Amino acid sequence: MMQFTETFPPPPPPLHQSSVITTPPSFNPMNKNQVLRVGSWPGYFPTSKSLQGRLGDANCMEQLLVHCATAIETNDATLAQQILWVLNNIAPPDGDSNQRLTCGFLRALISRAAMSGNCKLLSAVANVHAYADPTTTSTHRFSIIELASFVDLTPWHRFGFTAANAAVLEAVEGYPVVHIVDLSLTHCMQIPTLIDAIAARLDGPPLVKLTVAGAMEDFPPMLDLSYEELGTKLVNFARSRNVAMEFRVVPSTSSNGFSSLIDQLRLQQLRRAENGREALVINCHMMLHYIPEEEEEQTLTYETTAASLRTMFLKAVRGLDPTVVVLVDEDADFTSGNLANRLRSAYNYLWIPYDTVDTFLPRGSKQRQWYEADICWKIENVVSHEGNRRVERLEPKSKWVRRMRNAGFGGVAYSEEAIAEVKNMLDEHAAGWGLKREEEDHLVLTWKGHNVVFATAWIPI
Amino acid sequence: MKRDRDRGGKAAVSGGGGGAVTSTGKGKMWAEADAGMDELLAVLGYKVKSSDMADVAEKLEQLEVAMGTTTMEDGVSSLSTDTTVHYNPSDLSGWVGSMLSELSVIPDQIGVSGNNLINDDDLRAIPGGAILGNDSESAKKRIKFDSRSEFLENGCSPAVAPPRAVVLVDSQEAGVRLVHTLMACAEAVQQENMKLADALVKHVGILAESQVGAMRKVAACFAEALVRRIYKIRPQVEDNSSYADVLEMHFYETAPYLKFAHFTANQAILEAFAGAKRVHVIDFGLKQGMQWPALIQALALRPGGPPAFRLTGIGPPQPDNTDALQQVGWKLTQLAETIGVEFEFRGFVANSLADLDAKILDIKPGDFETVAVNSVFELHRLLARPGAVEKVLDSIRAMGPKIVTVVEQEADHNGVVFMDRFNEALHYYSTMFDSLEGSGLTQPDSAQDLFMTEVYLGRQICNVVACDGAERVERHETLAKWRRRMGSAGFEPAHLGSNAYKQASMLLALFAGGDGYRVEENDGCLMLGWHTRPLIATSAWRLTAVE
Repeated sequence: MMQFTETFPPPPPPLHQSSVITTPPSFNPMNKNQVLRVGSWPGYFPTSKSLQGRLGDANCMEQLLVHCATAIETNDATLAQQILWVLNNIAPPDGDSNQRLTCGFLRALISRAAMSGNCKLLSAVANVHAYADPTTTSTHRFSIIELASFVDLTPWHRFGFTAANAAVLEAVEGYPVVHIVDLSLTHCMQIPTLIDAIAARLDGPPLVKLTVAGAMEDFPPMLDLSYEELGTKLVNFARSRNVAMEFRVVPSTSSNGFSSLIDQLRLQQLRRAENGREALVINCHMMLHYIPEEEEEQTLTYETTAASLRTMFLKAVRGLDPTVVVLVDEDADFTSGNLANRLRSAYNYLWIPYDTVDTFLPRGSKQRQWYEADICWKIENVVSHEGNRRVERLEPKSKWVRRMRNAGFGGVAYSEEAIAEVKNMLDEHAAGWGLKREEEDHLVLTWKGHNVVFATAWIPI
Repeated sequence: MKRDRDRGGKAAVSGGGGGAVTSTGKGKMWAEADAGMDELLAVLGYKVKSSDMADVAEKLEQLEVAMGTTTMEDGVSSLSTDTTVHYNPSDLSGWVGSMLSELSVIPDQIGVSGNNLINDDDLRAIPGGAILGNDSESAKKRIKFDSRSEFLENGCSPAVAPPRAVVLVDSQEAGVRLVHTLMACAEAVQQENMKLADALVKHVGILAESQVGAMRKVAACFAEALVRRIYKIRPQVEDNSSYADVLEMHFYETAPYLKFAHFTANQAILEAFAGAKRVHVIDFGLKQGMQWPALIQALALRPGGPPAFRLTGIGPPQPDNTDALQQVGWKLTQLAETIGVEFEFRGFVANSLADLDAKILDIKPGDFETVAVNSVFELHRLLARPGAVEKVLDSIRAMGPKIVTVVEQEADHNGVVFMDRFNEALHYYSTMFDSLEGSGLTQPDSAQDLFMTEVYLGRQICNVVACDGAERVERHETLAKWRRRMGSAGFEPAHLGSNAYKQASMLLALFAGGDGYRVEENDGCLMLGWHTRPLIATSAWRLTAVE
């Protein structure tokens, strides 16, 4: 046997086994819930002692995402690259719901890294786009039919519609004119069922005036027709139910707290006060969270204290003395300024739509692609954007409740009939959906016990 | 980057004072050696005669001091601890490339013979006290300033006004002259004309002072290596492998090359391990084990759950008998335990991979575990001893691996002719240093990292240039050569997929820091390079099916 040895200095035996180390006999292979850093070596993953989590794997993925986000923020290229490599291998875009969720977050993090100052933007973005899967990044423009059936697939929006319609009907009974201001993410998809209910249950029926804030921004789901066209269809539909309806669009944007809409409504307020018998309904369906919530300095105000646009909007609405205000939104907190916290919040909420989708849309269907693309849009917005571009600023129910109370509103309880209606609606969908009543006035839609959407109704006090 | 001098159409590259003086084995020239030498030395600015070699030796000492090579352990000279941050990558490799392509032209045009008149302009352009006397300091400063602005202009900054024409030529000249002097020195060394070589290398030192950034550092590294070769100064003894590991870690942090190596190799290994319940990785150079946490984590979260993972790490003996392998193994074991992967580590100390065989490594029979063999920058070292690499490839075969991942420098530094090796290395390391210069250093420790990386590369340069025989271990060979070797040894290529390519491109685009990195796919292998020059290649192999 050939012997290869150094001539200087006297070598140790040419080959020896130095050590055998194994994981200890008490090793528990089920302990999968940690991601780790070893010592101060660069490029190893950070440890995390927190073990809460629904599933070990999902928990690990969440931790990896959080550590990756932190690595990107701190320009730790080595760690970021390592984690991105791991994530890319464990989160395929066509995997199970956890993997698809993680993939959405992974893409958002890559997007964020590409936009950060250290990258050579052009080449990075070019490479990132080559890398991204085009089927999940574009968002679809829905036709009315598509959107209507889309919205009906799941209680996500139907819950809010049903609860809101019940509260509205109760509040406007007896009024000859009902003015509904519909601030809804779903482009008036609530209105046909409301019209039906009005036609069926209210004497008259009353004249319905419908005002919408014309969408000046593009949040998914996006519509492929104009609000004017939409309005025409709604008026025709109402007529077919023998309900007279007027439709008006006031171009207004959430980014300034719908100020032009508020101005219009204030003008109308004078007429309404004179006429006396007009109900004013402000129906907010998952729209208010787009109003910036950060405290802003007002340059043209007599106010001495700075107030956020959100606060000002609610105050302005209170000033209109509405008959009822319905506030429906998603129960999660996306407002943290800290990326890691925000990512965690988003991950711990947005697993829900991925988890539910198997119950109502088959794999590979176009609708499923649209659905998941819309979720990816949200993820991308929360994780990779900042400042004005980051519009998905959900606040949890508790915060909205406080805001409404501060603005001078009191909660209205839902009647037993209303609750029964919601329950019936839920029965049409998968077994995992549930209903909770909180603090007597608030209804909450749940999925496997987790809060998803809350529905609340308010009157001025 | 030629500048035509406006005297008699003489090409700048042929150089007046300080230009490369070569003696390509023409015996006649050496008959006039001494007289020629005097003239040469005068041309280079030395007012010495060849009879005054003692004086030259003294100057050499001064060079050593100036370059900080007073101890054997030190790597790169103090010239490279320049604390100013040079904004733009130099076009050093481009110059070197064009110089190399003109190399064959040079010997006929250059010589200390009548027609190549040494002009005052040339001498004036040489910085340093020898010619310019009192004016040297300001001249140095002027040249330094303008070579920087020239760099800025040549680089990408559009805002800087073009420098004055005269000085532009001079600083270019100095750079060109530097490369030529280096090559002339190497030629002299090859011819064993050590006196000439010594004089030339000292001149390199002086010329290098007028340069900035990558050019300066590369020149310093190569000059030091040449000095070691000329004076047969033993290279720093490779007894401190933990120091070598530390240097490699800095290289790992500063540049994307090793990271690229790890994630491309890991991708091949991860894919080869799909579906396997027990896996065994044999790492030919464990070092700090940086490659493995990511793989362990990816295996932990793969669908179907992790396999049982066995890692065999091989490393060199430690001088102080500390068990470095065990320390790394211990950390990896803890990591695996935390992540939830059943893990076993074994370390093997070996002076050479050729001392190993499959039996010692206790490879279990084929169906029991899936084996991967991983070698990052280890195989080329075996070429220092005849028969070693073949033996190792045979023992890899005996291990029955499903996949063999090989990462090597993409360079031809193992040529038989010294000049060839020298020129190849000059081009390769110039490109490498250029890429480091260009990387956006944003971390607080980056200056330190960069310096240590330069030391790391400097040691390789010293080994390629100053060593021979069994000591010369940095015997890099190109992918084409490794392909032939692997093919002859009974391996066939396993293509790295498009997934690996896309990921590598994306990760580099996001994090590499410099704009010039390029990932290339080469017939199933992946290469990372700077601009058009590939510098590192990852390839994957499997056993050729035996009919």
